[in-house]
Amino acid sequence: MRSELANRIEAVLFVAEKPVSRSELARIGGATPRQLDVALAELGGGYEGTGLRLQHDGDEWQIVTTPEAAPYVAAYLGADRLRVSPASLETLAVIAYRQPVLRTDVERVRGVACGEMIRALMERDLVRMAGRAEEPGSPLLYGTTSRFLGEFGLRSLKDLPTARDLPPPPGTRVAGTAAAS
Amino acid sequence: MREDREEAPLIGARLPRVSVEGFEGPLDLLLELVEDRQLDILSVRLGDLAGEYLARVRAIGVLPADEAASFLWLASRLVLLKARSLLPSLEPLSPEDEAVSEEELRARLIEYAAVRQRAALLGERIRSGERAFHREGGTVELPPRGGDTDALAAAWSRVLAIAARARREEAEVPAERYSVEQRTREIEEIVAREGSVSFVTLLGADPSLSFAVVTFISLLDLYRRAMIDLEQDELFADIRITKKQAPAAKGAGAAGTERKGSVGAQRAGE
Repeated sequence: MRSELANRIEAVLFVAEKPVSRSELARIGGATPRQLDVALAELGGGYEGTGLRLQHDGDEWQIVTTPEAAPYVAAYLGADRLRVSPASLETLAVIAYRQPVLRTDVERVRGVACGEMIRALMERDLVRMAGRAEEPGSPLLYGTTSRFLGEFGLRSLKDLPTARDLPPPPGTRVAGTAAAS
Repeated sequence: MREDREEAPLIGARLPRVSVEGFEGPLDLLLELVEDRQLDILSVRLGDLAGEYLARVRAIGVLPADEAASFLWLASRLVLLKARSLLPSLEPLSPEDEAVSEEELRARLIEYAAVRQRAALLGERIRSGERAFHREGGTVELPPRGGDTDALAAAWSRVLAIAARARREEAEVPAERYSVEQRTREIEEIVAREGSVSFVTLLGADPSLSFAVVTFISLLDLYRRAMIDLEQDELFADIRITKKQAPAAKGAGAAGTERKGSVGAQRAGE
């Protein structure tokens, strides 16, 4: 039997149309953060072998369909497959793996101006502002959205595909900490 | 070589980009050179690629100005590296010059290669249709509780109510004409004079649709320009419009408005 708390948060996440934060789930479910984590793990585990699963963007949780079910859901919704130009995909890749990241960093890595492209990615809700850097001028930092995770079928940022056969990028600003919290 | 074209809008498709040979930028072009010739990215002498790089850039034809700059920047680096390898006695001229050593450029190239690979991995996920869906749309968004945005939401619903009523009348009465600019000035004057005024007062007894809409838009504009503060005790209640306080006194409300030209707030509409 699943715990009562897992059932409660499942019900809330089921009707929610946007990700629900961990703290809100804890408050609604009347649980401590620790109890909530247990319940989320229980809930996620219970979806193994079903058409649903839990996805989280940092602390924001959501019930989504599995990638295996995607073709059928897409057929039902008449959904278009996301189409991203190779250049935008590169920009998105830098942001996804390096977030939170400055526009100037994205441009340094790609060697070309990326402002317009970042704006287009924000319009499509794949990229969001993720605060400001503590630097002169407080430039904006960019990160990915929950929609990004959904479009690429990632359970969380930890799920980002890894390329192992390349040396780690030199001069990385925030290597390794991108996926946390 | 690059992927199939379908119907859905392509993110980034409208943006100016160099795509004659499918290059996404100077680093992309340089990397292509390395890979085409199956060179080891870790040991290739980048200066040796200067000639071929320039030939490829020349072949591209028309480049947008900003793109051209970045292509030429890299070209100049490559030529510099080439020159240094031919004339080992050539010393760096400045610290800035030093920063574009072969190692620096190689590091960038390696970093870029990683990004391109990651982009390819992400692209692969799109192509394989590995995607998650979530519930979207359907639930009614309830107006938020408390705060200035409520005032706006409630006021808007009030305007809509008036609009529904006014629609019947407008068939007969020739529409008056109001401009937002004019109405904004009027409200500004009223608020400056009275210190504070209620939304109901501003609307008058039986406003026409266009008058109500123009008044509302004017308020939004004033609020946006931080000329006024909006206050509301509860949802759908009347809204109090006050002249924007000095930042220190923010949220103090309408009471004690003491500034030149307005002595004591007259409480209109209460």
